[in-house]
Amino acid sequence: MTEMFSTLFGQNEAQGPPGSSSLGFGPGKPPPPMPQNQVSMAGQMPPQLGDEGPALRKPGVMNEPFYLLRELPVGNELTGNTNLITHYNLEHAYNKFCGKKVKEKLSNFLPELPGMIDCPGTQDGSSLRSLIDKPPVCGNSFSPLTGALLTGFRLHTGPLPEQYRLMHIQPPKKKSKHKHKHHRPQDPLPQETPSDSDPKKKKKKRDDDPDRKKKKKDKKKKKNRHSPDHPGLAGSQPNSNSLR
Amino acid sequence: MAERFDNLEEHLEKFIENIRQLGIIVSDFQPSSQAGLNQKLNFMISGLQDIEKCRQQLHEINVPLEVFEYIDQGRNPQLYTKECLERALARNEQVKGKIDTMTKFKSLLISELGKVFPEEMAKYKAIHGEDAPSL
Repeated sequence: MTEMFSTLFGQNEAQGPPGSSSLGFGPGKPPPPMPQNQVSMAGQMPPQLGDEGPALRKPGVMNEPFYLLRELPVGNELTGNTNLITHYNLEHAYNKFCGKKVKEKLSNFLPELPGMIDCPGTQDGSSLRSLIDKPPVCGNSFSPLTGALLTGFRLHTGPLPEQYRLMHIQPPKKKSKHKHKHHRPQDPLPQETPSDSDPKKKKKKRDDDPDRKKKKKDKKKKKNRHSPDHPGLAGSQPNSNSLR
Repeated sequence: MAERFDNLEEHLEKFIENIRQLGIIVSDFQPSSQAGLNQKLNFMISGLQDIEKCRQQLHEINVPLEVFEYIDQGRNPQLYTKECLERALARNEQVKGKIDTMTKFKSLLISELGKVFPEEMAKYKAIHGEDAPSL
């Protein structure tokens, strides 16, 4: 590759003018500088020779020897040279969304919305895209249901089948948080509820409780033995009770 | 601007809450709850009417279709905003880099051309002024 590069550019650089080689110009791209008489002729060239059309034929721009010279762009123009986020006062939004991690799930954005909203909408046909692609066929206005129309909404008694009970299901994270908050003030009560978020820890505590009670009882017994009221303290065999 | 959104948000929240209560009634329906169900159904219709009224205030609001894709995939739509901002900043930096490079190239070219073609460059500067871009 380097050989090819040198063959492509090395020879041409040697042929090119000294000024262009120092700038790293490509081979033979800039025409050699014209003598003064040719330059003046170039200034009088007919406009149809220009490539760029009417923008180059303005009389104010026809300056010798730069017949292709254009007017410079206005400096006030808004370009990518300026920080467009600060220009449009979006720093706050940028810091808000890009400064910290945005949670991935939709339920984090709409935490109070009931139901499982993190599932793809295409699964149950509830996608917004389908609403756009196939808008529902309906009238222009909503009219309240009268008595006769409401008869169509008489339901059978009893619970719904489980697959339709979606309204009660909350995202799991939120549920556990709420339960923690609600049950903390009443610590003794939730021991009986089976659906706690940390059943292992609490079960361990419950399992430990009888042991603790036994230990406490033993301690009490020991204390009583050492107390002046206890009959064993006066005797010469303090460990006799513990051996039994 | 924000009031219009607040108004819509309030109506949507009421509507969702009404639907949630409707779902609870329906999930374990009792004969005594028929009157409540009828009431909720009519609340739902009035809620839809309220939301329909809000539509007139939000005619010129444009929502990118990509946001809907995020929502349909169960993703947080704020991620779209985040990615847009990041993309805009990256493109902004790219363009700035190109502009800076071209500016440097221009000034270097002018200085080098001034060495090789001093007369022509003097004329050029006479036309354009000393507008060599500052680096």
